[in-house]
Amino acid sequence: MKSGGSGCDPAHIFPAPVRYSANMEAADLVHHTSRRFNEDLERVRSKVLAMGGLIEQQLSGALSALIDGDAKLGRAVAQNDHTVNGMEVSIDEECSRILATRAPAAGDLRMIVATIKTITDLERIGDECEKIAHIALRLAEDERPADRYRAVKHLGRVAQGMLRDTLDALARLDAELAVRTARLDRRVDEEYESIQRQCITFMMEDPRMIRRAIDVMWIVRALERIGDHAKNVCEYVIYMVHGKDIRHTSLERVEQELMSRAAP
Amino acid sequence: MTGSLWWLAVRLALASLAGAAAGWPFGYPGLGVAVVLGAVLVRHYWLLRRLQRWLHDEPGALAPDVEGVWGDVIGSVARLQRRKQYHKLRLLRLLRELRRATTAIPDGVVVLNPLGEILWFNRTAVRLLQLHARTDVGLRIENLVRQPEFIHHFRSGEYTQPIVVRAANDNAAYLQIQIVPYGAGQLLMLVRDVTRAQQLEAMRKDFVANASHELRSPLTVIAGYLETFSQDPALDPQLAGPINEMRRQSTRMTAIVEDLLALSKLEAADGAAQRTPIDVAQLMEQLHQDIGPRLGAGTTLVCTAQSSARLLGDEAQIHSAFANLLDNAAKYTPAGGRISMRWWSDADGGYFAVQDSGIGIASEHIPRLTERFYRVDAGRSRATGGSGLGLAIVKHVLQRHGATLSIVSAEGRGSTFTCHFPPEQLAAV
Repeated sequence: MKSGGSGCDPAHIFPAPVRYSANMEAADLVHHTSRRFNEDLERVRSKVLAMGGLIEQQLSGALSALIDGDAKLGRAVAQNDHTVNGMEVSIDEECSRILATRAPAAGDLRMIVATIKTITDLERIGDECEKIAHIALRLAEDERPADRYRAVKHLGRVAQGMLRDTLDALARLDAELAVRTARLDRRVDEEYESIQRQCITFMMEDPRMIRRAIDVMWIVRALERIGDHAKNVCEYVIYMVHGKDIRHTSLERVEQELMSRAAP
Repeated sequence: MTGSLWWLAVRLALASLAGAAAGWPFGYPGLGVAVVLGAVLVRHYWLLRRLQRWLHDEPGALAPDVEGVWGDVIGSVARLQRRKQYHKLRLLRLLRELRRATTAIPDGVVVLNPLGEILWFNRTAVRLLQLHARTDVGLRIENLVRQPEFIHHFRSGEYTQPIVVRAANDNAAYLQIQIVPYGAGQLLMLVRDVTRAQQLEAMRKDFVANASHELRSPLTVIAGYLETFSQDPALDPQLAGPINEMRRQSTRMTAIVEDLLALSKLEAADGAAQRTPIDVAQLMEQLHQDIGPRLGAGTTLVCTAQSSARLLGDEAQIHSAFANLLDNAAKYTPAGGRISMRWWSDADGGYFAVQDSGIGIASEHIPRLTERFYRVDAGRSRATGGSGLGLAIVKHVLQRHGATLSIVSAEGRGSTFTCHFPPEQLAAV
């Protein structure tokens, strides 16, 4: 009978997530006087992550549609975007309800605020996936280039990995992983610029390539935006765990600060 | 134990008496008793302290060697401890063996509580699902395994069938996940890497589709030349027989290739079939007209549409399935037989049945009838020119429409093939 829990209730035997022995603030996110409230928060989090899972699938579908020239898959991804939007609306409503009826404070309030911001960014990622799917649909009619969009594929992998790590950081409330993932955004930006330069070269060499090159540029632009949105979500994770707003702060400074906090 | 307690009481009484006797000459018998009892109390306190120190401060040390009632108590405690130690060691060994066994299982194993929170997982699960050994215990599985199909399956509570999802970290990898409920609402999740099997399956489907497609053009050329030859009056009349046989066989081959293509198209189509309302009575009329010339002499065909309900489905596919059933009936019903086609509906859905008075099928063949190229006997289907794929096509079409096929047959007396469509595939007019 630890901490007054009733022995037979599994919810007490296996307390909700987050183990940061070094960080008491993260542990605060878990302890609640009201169990129902705790369940509400957990449900919202699961819903956000389910939305994230759907977006992960949308992104991988959109990229496959482009690389394999699969028009059917592209159409399916484009049509599925309304599901993502519906999820955003439903989570948004639930957050408003929790704010209105439970009046959360401290860590819980941070979680709700961060969730509302997170779903906005996730929904935008969904929109970018839809954009990629639409362009893939158009490009599927043409013959695929000799390199089969190798550079785009690579950038897509990085963006996919970033999105996955972001959602993992959110699921585990792992601020360290969030910082590491946010850093990847710089790599995405660099690759975006290099593909852009490549496209410009193609266009200058062969004016017949202009249309496709512009389409490819739109796609890499969308992937770059996905990286930005994923980085935003990482920042909300850090805010949720540490209660510190790190937007517009250099990541090195954030990392230093987190290290110095964890050390003692 | 009770004996030594008695002895203790007697000794205490005797000591008190001795104390009283010693104090008597000095006129303080009470003080004598108090001094003796005090000494006894100090001794017991000292022994109790030793027992406590042995129990708390020196785990595993030898039991203090004491006589009397304390010796008894210490002896019992030591015995209990030894027994506990023995059981603990046995359990530990058993647990270690179990751990080793579950770790050695080539499949990923995750144990979940009724809320879907992770209690335990093995090393393979770490690799397949990218779980983190220490931090992930207590997290909800659906937060970490986020594939929409998995979340849907997990929340549905229906775990009879395993599901296959793409791995999160590798687009080309597939995982099969089977959830097994056990104990008090706990769940065992088995994860297996089925990438190789999926690839083979995809390769097989591609191969059949491509091979059939590639065979079609040479077959058309051969059939074309054979047709020209058969109509050529200058041809040696001795060759007429062989050329006609070649024509028949090339027609049959074309039919097989067409059916193979139709099957692979059915397999490749994912998701449910489209839901166009189909007028079954009209479809039966059309089937009746198509099959007419192929019926044996004197064979009667009866059509009865007892329901006006529309069937929701893909019209071309439903047509091909019903036509295949009717075709089989026509093929295996000798001249003068009777074939009936019936469409009716009730609260459980719609039924399309084809009944014939043909040669029938022995019961041991019925379960395997819908397999590709399954032959009841070697001569039978080849003589009638079937592709051997008709019922396989019927099965696939029905599967896509959520329907089932039931076959009732008696050898020599005929067969009944009934398609049962669930109520959600029907629409009232």
